[in-house]
Amino acid sequence: MSSGRASSSSRTAARKEKADPMPASGHYLVAVSRSLDPHALTGVQGIRDSAVRVVECEGLQAVVCDVDLDEFGEEPLRRNLENLSWVEEMARAHHAAVCAVDAVATTVPMRFATIYESEDRVAEQLRVLRDPLTEALDRVDGAAEWSVKAYAAPVAAEAEDRPRAETGAAYLARRREAVEARRRRESDDEQVLSDLHHELATRAVASRRLMPQDPRLSGRQEPMRMNAAYLVTHDAAQSFSDYATKALADRTELRVEVDGPWPPYSFASLEPS
Amino acid sequence: MTVTQSPVETRNSSPAYGGVGRPQPQGLADILERILDKGIVIAGDIRVNLLDIELLTVKIRLLVVSVDKAQEMGIDWWRNDPMLNSSAEQLAEENRELRARVQQLEDGGAEGKG
Repeated sequence: MSSGRASSSSRTAARKEKADPMPASGHYLVAVSRSLDPHALTGVQGIRDSAVRVVECEGLQAVVCDVDLDEFGEEPLRRNLENLSWVEEMARAHHAAVCAVDAVATTVPMRFATIYESEDRVAEQLRVLRDPLTEALDRVDGAAEWSVKAYAAPVAAEAEDRPRAETGAAYLARRREAVEARRRRESDDEQVLSDLHHELATRAVASRRLMPQDPRLSGRQEPMRMNAAYLVTHDAAQSFSDYATKALADRTELRVEVDGPWPPYSFASLEPS
Repeated sequence: MTVTQSPVETRNSSPAYGGVGRPQPQGLADILERILDKGIVIAGDIRVNLLDIELLTVKIRLLVVSVDKAQEMGIDWWRNDPMLNSSAEQLAEENRELRARVQQLEDGGAEGKG
């Protein structure tokens, strides 16, 4: 496309001539929707106070916002991605915009930092990817993502009142037994959670187990034993949530947390799952 | 198409996205895991592979992805971080030290008697 190339070369030129005072802007793609009333997004912000707008092509709508290439160009972006507080701020902005779009139309969210040089390039993506994008929208239509996590309950502190005259061998045996018991417990937990996951999956359109989160990012001390996402129809959401919340209520060693609805991030894919 | 509520009001503080009975914003881990690792992937004009970023790899990839996967990738600095050591590893280590100590004592005791 000639306009895309022209835009590309002018941006490259602008980058080379550092004296250029006007920063070029890029088009940050937030999500792709259909049957979206653009007026419904009035006042919705994208990244850094830039309002979102809609680029239409082939019956699909790309929701984009402007970003400053001084911040989101390849080199600055690479630098900024090293800064966790920058990443957090931008990730939350991306997420808030996705939620706003998802609230008013069937939506597939984009991965963070998908940026184009012109609206023509955005429209071109909609045209080229029309079929897989349409299928992706079909898959999430009428449903939302629900997160179900299970944490191991905090392990009770080991009794300190051990026999005073305990021998080294007895001490070792006791510690070995503790390690063994822990291993058995984890194995039992895994079976219980695997069963729970399969049960929840039957109540969902699609499901996937995600990697358990590290305590340093989750902010939780208890180890995460299960991290799973389910695509659940709006009609079934309440009963799904109720079931997941209560399923393991009688197991004190595991705590289940249900969170949703989320935009269908984990089920937004150009390939059938 | 699902029209559920007014979009302007739902941004940021939407009850629909606040989680079940949780007033605070959704967790950073949940958001990063989805935004950096899920969602539709299309090549943009700005080419940055999120997982090629060095610090991002350490800070986020390790944290969002699991410890097991990080180990596969050869990232293992947290092993020496006491905050991240699992108690199982500590127990195993303690066991090894105690075994060595008991062995030492038993050897020493035998010599003393002899």
